Amino acid sequence: MLTSFKSDLKPFDELARSFAAKELTKKVEEHDRYPFGEFFTTVVDKMFDVGFLGVVLPEELGGIGGSISALCVILENICRADSSAGGIIFTNALSQEIMRAAKAEALARKVFPKASSASEFLVAFPSYIDPAHAGALPDAMKTGRGYTLTGSLELLVLGGLASRAVIPARIRDGSTYSFFLVDLAEEGIVKSDPVFTLGLHACPAVDVTMKGVKARLIGEPDKGGLYFKEVSSKMHVAAAAMNAGIMKGSLGEALAYSKERFQGGREIINWSEVSMLLAGMAIKADVADMCVAQACLAMEQGENHWGSHCIAAALHIHELACEAVTDGVQVLGGNGYMKDYGQEKRYRDARQVQALLGAAPLKKIDLVRGLAGLAAAGSPG
Amino acid sequence: MLSRAEVSARLSRFPKFDDTYLSLPYAPHMPGHMVRQTKEVIAIARKFNEEVARPRALELDRKTHEDPGYMPWELAELANKWGFYTMWIPKMFGGKGYNMPSMSYFSEEVGSVCLGIMNVIGVHYLGVSGVIASANLTLSRRIMNDVVQGEKTGKPCLIALATTEPGAGTDVEETDLVDKGKVTCHARKVKGGYIVNGTKVFISMGHVSTWTVLYAYSDLKRPSETSVGLMVKTGTKGFSFGTHENKMGQRVCPASVLVFEDCFVPDDQVLFDEARVRKFTKKPFREISQRYIDYVVSATRAGVGAFGVGAARGAFEAALNYASTTEVGGRLLINNEWVQCQLAEMYKNVALGRLAYVEANYANSHRGLYRLLQLKPFYYYLLFMPQAYFDNVVAPFLEKESSQKLMGRLYYEWAREPDQHCCSGWGSLAKVAGTDIGIKNCQMALELMGQTGLRQDAGVEKLLRDAKLVQIYEGTNQLNRLNLFKCLIAPAVPQARVFEE
Repeated sequence: MLTSFKSDLKPFDELARSFAAKELTKKVEEHDRYPFGEFFTTVVDKMFDVGFLGVVLPEELGGIGGSISALCVILENICRADSSAGGIIFTNALSQEIMRAAKAEALARKVFPKASSASEFLVAFPSYIDPAHAGALPDAMKTGRGYTLTGSLELLVLGGLASRAVIPARIRDGSTYSFFLVDLAEEGIVKSDPVFTLGLHACPAVDVTMKGVKARLIGEPDKGGLYFKEVSSKMHVAAAAMNAGIMKGSLGEALAYSKERFQGGREIINWSEVSMLLAGMAIKADVADMCVAQACLAMEQGENHWGSHCIAAALHIHELACEAVTDGVQVLGGNGYMKDYGQEKRYRDARQVQALLGAAPLKKIDLVRGLAGLAAAGSPG
Repeated sequence: MLSRAEVSARLSRFPKFDDTYLSLPYAPHMPGHMVRQTKEVIAIARKFNEEVARPRALELDRKTHEDPGYMPWELAELANKWGFYTMWIPKMFGGKGYNMPSMSYFSEEVGSVCLGIMNVIGVHYLGVSGVIASANLTLSRRIMNDVVQGEKTGKPCLIALATTEPGAGTDVEETDLVDKGKVTCHARKVKGGYIVNGTKVFISMGHVSTWTVLYAYSDLKRPSETSVGLMVKTGTKGFSFGTHENKMGQRVCPASVLVFEDCFVPDDQVLFDEARVRKFTKKPFREISQRYIDYVVSATRAGVGAFGVGAARGAFEAALNYASTTEVGGRLLINNEWVQCQLAEMYKNVALGRLAYVEANYANSHRGLYRLLQLKPFYYYLLFMPQAYFDNVVAPFLEKESSQKLMGRLYYEWAREPDQHCCSGWGSLAKVAGTDIGIKNCQMALELMGQTGLRQDAGVEKLLRDAKLVQIYEGTNQLNRLNLFKCLIAPAVPQARVFEE
């Protein structure tokens, strides 16, 4: 729908669609076997080549200088086929956006323009938390011109693949935190094997433990919360676009199956209860599409409260998605539960995407506190 | 205030008292010992969880991802060692004779830790129900004896039940649908038995079972009138296994493909066919087939409802533990009102799902498959008589033609349609209620636990994967809603037609 409002997004739409068809669709199950199968390195390299790993990064920093809307269009198309690839694009964009929000251009210039491969271009991030809500973050200690980090962090997404990571850490006791850029090859970092999670298997995360690891401050000290808040609103729409794509994929597969599968002497789409299930999915997918488009427009036009609009849209879309993909499995019956079809993966991935940027209930509390002009739940006071 | 006739007239209107309030009239008739026995069963399940299920559940799930060819031989041996495969087999067939409703509570307990492990135990009783509901006492005793011997020798003898076919899932569960379905499993009558050709899919524990209850048809153009139940032993010539499915969850319990190619099954392994049924009833065979299906699914769907409740409870317990140990903003999550309300909602879901399967159990106990076993005099007779008495005195009696006829008449000729509808409708109700709240609670727990919930080593994501299957097997929840309508609502609406859209 975004491309109907903004025709300049059509090239992104077509590029992502053809990439998904060519590189992802036929090997979804194979790619999803990770960490018990091979990682799809070649596909990630190709994503780097076509610019998907730097959609919102300015051209002078080695990106393609697209808008969040462009990122959404790409994510929706990619996630319709394989949301793990979408998770990689999302996490890298999230790291880049944090650096941009912190106006850490000098640091970014050292990372992205010089990268000659996907692994050099990727920057890991703990994408499933809002650091303000995290019980414990690593400690940062000032040492000479830089900092050292000590502590542990769970589910550092892309941590096993990327050369660097953006890590939230606390310089002092309290609830404020700062972001740091860490070279993942530094001494003192211990990474776990890829953590086996519900979904997005091919967008792996690792647990990391750090002991006196050299780190460079991103932006100003203790401003991590502000940077995250600025980025989070935008990235919520990107996460919503991922689930909008997953829903469309689920609906497409359910519709196709229901026209082929016979039960009681006719195609199951001709049984009205199946039609009702499909209608519910179609309505949810359409509403999600509209919400993403409207949130992007509100953001780009700088409407009042665009940030809360974006988060509200994302929370709503994630709930719709979790329901729709559950019905998506149901339409296919036993087949929907098997890995030979794509529905069971979407059932898992939609929930994993829902968890991006932090736990949904805490976001809801923060949303309403924001509307009421109160401090967020995890904030001081 | 009202005469008995007036009360009776009003209570027989829709919704009928008899079909609506099951525990109220039946609880007082329940043998008191059942409570004590059920408590023991729950305690056994909790011990099994502590010693076997909980230490293994996540590790085995991971193992099945590393090795998709994994088969639960070790788990089956452990369950066999714990005596679970004979626990709910009636004493007259050589089992321990625990009351059947107690298995629902067991399922909830073990299911709250791992639905896959629960199904490694539980689906055997789908097979047991399929055998016993046939009223073929001779064959029932023979098969159950194999199970008992399997326990004694330490080599598990499990029973699988095979109905689903590649082109027919929902269709094979209803005689009203099966004639329009694409069934292909053919049983041709020949001298001395049947020759079977066809394929069955999604057969839980197929590879690991010794016996399979095979549901086939002697005329594929009229399957509703020509169904045949056969007992096929693993290793029989012409019976082989295809692959087993790569499932999202419940991965320790394989879903097998069974292939029959000119597989000869002798007459003494025919559970039921029209010729056999004619010995005790003149009712249309199609009607008898549906009654047989209903006896089995009324019991097993209530059990699957308990599986769903187990998932819901596992999710609740994980969320409770997380909320009790995790701080956000310097305060334990559990001390937030919204968290307390979420946990209360999850607890409520578990309680309501449990009430549903308990009501379904009452229906089965007094108007369905277990009704003989739950009659107080018979219950205590079975409880207190020594096993040797059943083996030496009762067994020869069961083999007699007259006993077989009596059992056939009792369960098929004299069975009342309203009882069949009540049991089947409540089985579906319990199944839908329990399995839907399974998904609901898993989703709530996942949202509450944030990124911790995503981790396989935290357990909830596995419950969510496992729980989806219970909305599908034993008839999809859509089929079960239709069956609920057919059995509990449509009888009050003469113009209502089901499966005739």
